[in-house]
Amino acid sequence: MKPNTTIVADARKTRLSPRNRLDWYLLAIVVLISCVAIIPFYLLVLLALKSPIGGLAAIRLMPDFHFVNFITAWQRSALGKAMFNSLVMTAGGVGLLVFLSSMAGYTIARFPGKLNRTIFTILLLCMMIPGIINTVPLYTLLIRLKGINTYWAMICVMAVNAMPFAIFLYSSFIRAMPVSLEESAIIDGCSWFEAFWRITFPLIGPVTSSVVILQGLGMWNNYAQAVFFLQDKAHRNIPLSISLFFQQYGADWPLMAAAAFLGLLPAVAAFLVFQRYFVEGITAGALKG
Amino acid sequence: MHIDTGSWHRYMALPAFLLFSLFFLFPLMQGAVLSFTDWDGFSTPSFIGFQNFVDFLHDARALQDVRTTVLFALGSAPLLNLCGLALALLLNKKFRGKQVVRALLYLPAVISPMIMGSIWYLLLQPKRGLFALLLQRVGVSGQGNWMLSSNLALVIIVLVNVWQYAGMTMVIYLAGLQAIPLEHYEAADIEGASSSQTFRHIVFPQLIPSLKINIITNIIGSLSVFEAILALTDGGPGYDTESLSIYILRMCYGNKTGYSTAVALMLFLIILIPVFISLRFFNKVEER
Amino acid sequence: MKRRTTMVSLIAAVVLLAVTVLPVVAQGAGEKEIVLDYFSGRVETVDWDAEKIAGFEAENPGITVEYEFQKDASNVIKVKLASGEVPDITTVVNQDFIDQGIYMDLSDAAFWNRILPSVKDLCTDLRTGKQYKVATNVTMGGLFYNKAVFTELGLSDAQTWEQFVANLEAIKKAYPDKTPLFLGGKDSWTLGHFVEFWAHGIVKQQLGIPGSRQAFLDNTVEWDAPNGIMENFAKALLELRDKGLLNSDAITATYDNQKEAFASGEAVIINQGMWVVGDIVKLNPAMATNIGFGPFPSVVKGLSPMVLCAEDSVYAISATSEHQDAALKFLEYMFSVEVQKEYSEARSMPSAFIDVESNWSPIKDDAKRLASAYVNINFSTEAPSGLSVDDTGRLIQKLLNGDYASPKVFATEYQKLWDNAY
Repeated sequence: MKPNTTIVADARKTRLSPRNRLDWYLLAIVVLISCVAIIPFYLLVLLALKSPIGGLAAIRLMPDFHFVNFITAWQRSALGKAMFNSLVMTAGGVGLLVFLSSMAGYTIARFPGKLNRTIFTILLLCMMIPGIINTVPLYTLLIRLKGINTYWAMICVMAVNAMPFAIFLYSSFIRAMPVSLEESAIIDGCSWFEAFWRITFPLIGPVTSSVVILQGLGMWNNYAQAVFFLQDKAHRNIPLSISLFFQQYGADWPLMAAAAFLGLLPAVAAFLVFQRYFVEGITAGALKG
Repeated sequence: MHIDTGSWHRYMALPAFLLFSLFFLFPLMQGAVLSFTDWDGFSTPSFIGFQNFVDFLHDARALQDVRTTVLFALGSAPLLNLCGLALALLLNKKFRGKQVVRALLYLPAVISPMIMGSIWYLLLQPKRGLFALLLQRVGVSGQGNWMLSSNLALVIIVLVNVWQYAGMTMVIYLAGLQAIPLEHYEAADIEGASSSQTFRHIVFPQLIPSLKINIITNIIGSLSVFEAILALTDGGPGYDTESLSIYILRMCYGNKTGYSTAVALMLFLIILIPVFISLRFFNKVEER
Repeated sequence: MKRRTTMVSLIAAVVLLAVTVLPVVAQGAGEKEIVLDYFSGRVETVDWDAEKIAGFEAENPGITVEYEFQKDASNVIKVKLASGEVPDITTVVNQDFIDQGIYMDLSDAAFWNRILPSVKDLCTDLRTGKQYKVATNVTMGGLFYNKAVFTELGLSDAQTWEQFVANLEAIKKAYPDKTPLFLGGKDSWTLGHFVEFWAHGIVKQQLGIPGSRQAFLDNTVEWDAPNGIMENFAKALLELRDKGLLNSDAITATYDNQKEAFASGEAVIINQGMWVVGDIVKLNPAMATNIGFGPFPSVVKGLSPMVLCAEDSVYAISATSEHQDAALKFLEYMFSVEVQKEYSEARSMPSAFIDVESNWSPIKDDAKRLASAYVNINFSTEAPSGLSVDDTGRLIQKLLNGDYASPKVFATEYQKLWDNAY
């Protein structure tokens, strides 16, 4: 990493080392908020480590350390395969989403002609329509396209569902960016299309990161579509696998929590990786300009 | 090899739109037709004109659900934005462990919604939940049962919803804060602006895109709420805290598929109005 | 330099697109195998089903069974049917689908002479007199009670409503900290089962099972008759609530709470089905010998106590399946004595096959005694599928919450719910 990047990046931030009273307050608030946020997660851990004796009523602040739940859950729900499936479909879905939506957001923000304005309006309207309406026709369509039990169909469906939001996000942020950087590239002999990929796309790293973080999570946790389009064991994703712990009456919460805990680790890791781009993407870009 | 990309920029939305049309728009239009039928989900539907929409206006349960949904959104959408913005401003400062705190705030949204329900209920259940037991231990004996008063129940559902999704709103605000060019801060620093001045004149204008996105998505999200409600009250007692989205889901698989489609279109209208107003507002702000 | 990174990212994006959008289906050419779709909603036996399918495929080369399990099977199958895709074999059957002619007529199948006559009757469609589904097991429901407490207080199965209330009051007096009758009303299906057993049961007792099934098909039961079934039922529940014989959080406690309270001894009686037994023993292994099983009393005077004795684990074959013979072959394999013995023990439910002897549950002897001593009622399978136990349970939530001015109003609301579902 270039040293000057970090120095400039620091300049915009107030230092939060407890030097004066205000900073102490802020620190206290941060600690408090973190505690509040961590409660459900801690309960998930308690639940995942719960022995069957006594059930949920026997949950105490100290875990039971019934680690065998993780092994049982992993095996019973074939979680390894499910994680692989979820990974392939989420990566594919996010890739497709970012590729198509960033382009669309760019042209909608920069060239608001009749075509682009119409497309944007339709997408916005669709964002407000409850998706449940298209379940049956979509199912019929996927049977005809032989898309049931395939990665590609789920990838397309999930990417499409996330598209209105992603395009909205991209177009709003690109509109707020100065057009001067692209214009200087045009003077250098680029086309607008090339200018997008060379200049704009690297600059909107934070936006791409939020799309990946927000929509990737939705795809990772997708149940509403998966329940219809992924039918055989070989293609089950994580939520479908976790749903195996629901019985006809009631559910096996400890095993479900154990499976859910394992299933969320990759999602948390992805968040930690992508939030770094929040800072680096924009400073690197800004320095170039 | 050189491909001439000179005019491509005008059509860059087409690939996205074509895929969207195939997998969303066409099925949607086919589905919307069902709102004019009495389809039960399996037998042959027959066309009944606008009957479903007329029924909706006389459906006491649906109208109560509209009230619940709107009340929920009135509480949830502003609160989510406020908390998300406050968190983003706080976590945009530099301090040790910032990355970890951000991840923690995001955590509630990551946990699978399927298990989230049982976790919230474990915490908040009247008389038996961990909070109730904790209160008992410190001497506050809970005689009341928040779930049985639909207004109190709604307040709690709103708070839980904020607790769960403030992290996601924060992510978008953070992206907005990061998009503020450094030179602006530097300029403000050089001119000796106070922090509130910096916020008003530098930060706020740059936050408008994220504000717009968050307000609109939170309106949409809050008006189509169902997971938080299903988890905490399951819409009960009776149908007192049921939202319109839950009703649509239940009707769709309860042999009233045609009707559920019509209700879904009504929900669309209910969402459209505030979104339209906000969009108009933001367009004016952006023009200025 | 910049140009190169752009090109690389562009190419990467295009490759990603191509890889993801290309179908990953790799199907061998020239297959002449029979492929059966088997759609199941039975989560308890997902692994077991897969194992049995493998056994069947080994015995029958040339037939492949594609197994699909769904937690939300009853919803998923509606979408499948709507798209014209009916699985060859399914475990999801309801009266509406039978009326639509979706299932194959199984009346001539060989397995019927091995199945209990009462179960065959329950599998018979009243409109046509034919069998479109087959059930392999019997499930029972009633009151589960803490044997130790009953023995200590000298209580026995209540024969009348008054005796039932007296039992509960005796428990409350002896153990003020315990809950005599525990409800888990947040999971509204548990309250729906109350209606199913206690209220619908009356009709079944009065009209007999065939008569009540016909009445449900035609919606001829007068639920809201003055001093009728629903009014008495509502009065009975309110009496229990007002005398403090229910848990104070009857509406907000869950099914999990109910099981745990019973397992820990906090609750003395619960109204459930035999599916609860295995879970209770898991929560507290010492309960295995302490679970008593009894009938529930009639809320209408002059009738006998009842016990739910219904068909369970049903199968049906699609009427439009191209491989009905192969599907029947699969059912015959699943219905063999050894396979059914395993199933009965795995699910802790008695078998409906007369030649299957299994050791299925600690309450086996009690169950046998109840089934012969008391009036047997079935599940209301003829009620319209739009009327769920979830919906009926919600009316009980409202009743217990004091939302109805009188039991009479409740009865009227209940009648409305039925009328709307037809």
